[in-house]
Amino acid sequence: MSSGKFFVRRLLQGVFVVWGVVTITFALRALSPGDPVNLIAGQVPDQATRDQIEQDLGLDQPIYVQYFDYLGDLLTGSLGYSYNQRRAVSDIVAQHFAATVELAVAATVVALVIAIPLGVVSATRRNQPADYGATFGSLIGISTPNFWLGIMLILIVATQVGFIPTSGRGIAFHEAVYSIFRYGYVGHLFEWFTYIILPAITLGTYFTALITRLTRSGMVDELGKPYVTATEAKGLPKTLVRYKHVLRNTLIPIITVLGLQLGTLMGGAVITEEVFNWPGLGQTFITALRNGDWPVVQGIVLFIAVAFVVINIFVDALYARLNPQVSDE
Amino acid sequence: MISDRIKANLTSEFRQSVLAKLGVVLLLSILLMGLFAPVLATHNPHEQGHTNDAGASYPPYGLSDEVPMFEDGDITYHSVDGTSEHLLGTNDIGQDIYSRFLYGARTSLLVGLSGTLLATAMGVPVGLVAGYFGGRVDDGLMRVADVMLAFPSLVLALALMGAFGRGTIGIPDPIVLAGFADGMPETATFPGMVVVVVALVTWVWFARVARGEAMAIRNEEYVKAARSLGASHATIMRRHVLPNSLTPIIVLATIQVAAIILLESSLSYLGFSGTTLSWGYEIQRGYDYLPNQWWIATIPGIGIVLAVIGVNLIGDWLRDALDPNIEGEGGGGAG
Repeated sequence: MSSGKFFVRRLLQGVFVVWGVVTITFALRALSPGDPVNLIAGQVPDQATRDQIEQDLGLDQPIYVQYFDYLGDLLTGSLGYSYNQRRAVSDIVAQHFAATVELAVAATVVALVIAIPLGVVSATRRNQPADYGATFGSLIGISTPNFWLGIMLILIVATQVGFIPTSGRGIAFHEAVYSIFRYGYVGHLFEWFTYIILPAITLGTYFTALITRLTRSGMVDELGKPYVTATEAKGLPKTLVRYKHVLRNTLIPIITVLGLQLGTLMGGAVITEEVFNWPGLGQTFITALRNGDWPVVQGIVLFIAVAFVVINIFVDALYARLNPQVSDE
Repeated sequence: MISDRIKANLTSEFRQSVLAKLGVVLLLSILLMGLFAPVLATHNPHEQGHTNDAGASYPPYGLSDEVPMFEDGDITYHSVDGTSEHLLGTNDIGQDIYSRFLYGARTSLLVGLSGTLLATAMGVPVGLVAGYFGGRVDDGLMRVADVMLAFPSLVLALALMGAFGRGTIGIPDPIVLAGFADGMPETATFPGMVVVVVALVTWVWFARVARGEAMAIRNEEYVKAARSLGASHATIMRRHVLPNSLTPIIVLATIQVAAIILLESSLSYLGFSGTTLSWGYEIQRGYDYLPNQWWIATIPGIGIVLAVIGVNLIGDWLRDALDPNIEGEGGGGAG
């Protein structure tokens, strides 16, 4: 199959997935027992007000009409309006998504920076103390609930180290960078770092553990292949072979796993943001869910699903470039 | 099916592996704690007010805590010593943490095991049918699976809990009713909706693995032979396809028990469970009392980590011994 056809098919699949997500979240709102009218009115309204609000929201229509109205709104780019914030859901998503992306990227960086060297060391010194340490460490890493890890970091680090705050975001990354270029002031970047470091470790630990495991097992497989013996027999330095050839072949499948684990990353972000009072999509999602503010819940879930689909199509494209066999499928 | 060869592999792997033994010991101890919680507990887990005379909660036995108190407009510090009456101390409203830890083990394992069973019961038949018949049924299943995978499991689980509510079932506790544990709660709260929700979130993994197995098995010679001898599809699925796909399903189930325990703890941490006797819920209580009463949030977390490590080690043991070559979600930080 040509790569053009491959991506058209992937795109159509993506559209189907997004439609499925929209339908499921719509069904959940329809099933939920909450009464949006009370939320909007802020109290128990009289009958006339109730009728008016129901008419405005289209709640007096049959359920299938509401469903098609919702689909129609989405197609025109409207995610609806929050029941109790009196704002467009798209505004709310736009306001909070940068914080979540920042956190997710920082966590991924933490994970990659720690996990890949650890996995390489573990694989090249198999059954030595370093390997046992890394293996046991990653076992603990995948077994620890991240909200508890976050609380322990607050308890052990933030309350002991004066300049590390226990919660909040402080300053946005782009503002910190702006202040370097505009005023040559590095202090804001440091401030940004002190706020993000604990949430990033909290969210990144599971991925550190996962990638360490993947790198180790991938490297062990790869090191056993004949080309490694051949290049080493040829007299090429071991370090060069390991880092240039073996590691590169190991990393290709890891990219795919990372794309598929993006959902886990977003799920982890929800609870990490709640622990650290990080003003991102996850915290907004939880608050909206607690308040029965379904348009916001739906909007955020939809946003996350679309991000998942888009990034995975991108990962597939990257993977097909790195490994041409894939597009033959 | 579980053949003699598999049994031999399991035992030899178990003998060689220290970690497998550790996993079995960890999981068994937590299982026993949960099972016999009413007998092992020293206090009713709901009973409040176990505080010192000034109303401060106790730290774990052997430790002491400096508690600030307002007296005549000044803050003075009073020392509170842990007592052997409350081995792991008491929480913010004076409930015995050791007893609540035992009951929390019960909730975690009950949800982990019954959630996995339900997910298996939902996913395996769907996967077997899709893989065995192929074609449109299979396409349909794979598209549904794509949709399910686009939801982060915690996010979907939370949304489902938000829509369905936090229903629970009260189950009479046989140990208490038989009179072995006076003063303990007579009914155990079973968070039924949480079990349904975690199964709805994870069944698709079972469907995918069962599908892959069924696709491979349907082309085996013995299946073709059975078919030409006149066996019906239902018989073939029951007698041949299901038994031969059990190994990877069992390994996946073990991994999912760990993922579901973590998912349950996240749900109850966020207040979307139906029971207060849960490790996650207890950590939420303790969060507000950091850093002074650090033990309230710390102790239940250790329970979760040990339980999940135990299950993961058993999962590693089964995987090494059975070598099913499956993909799975893994222990799942967020499930």
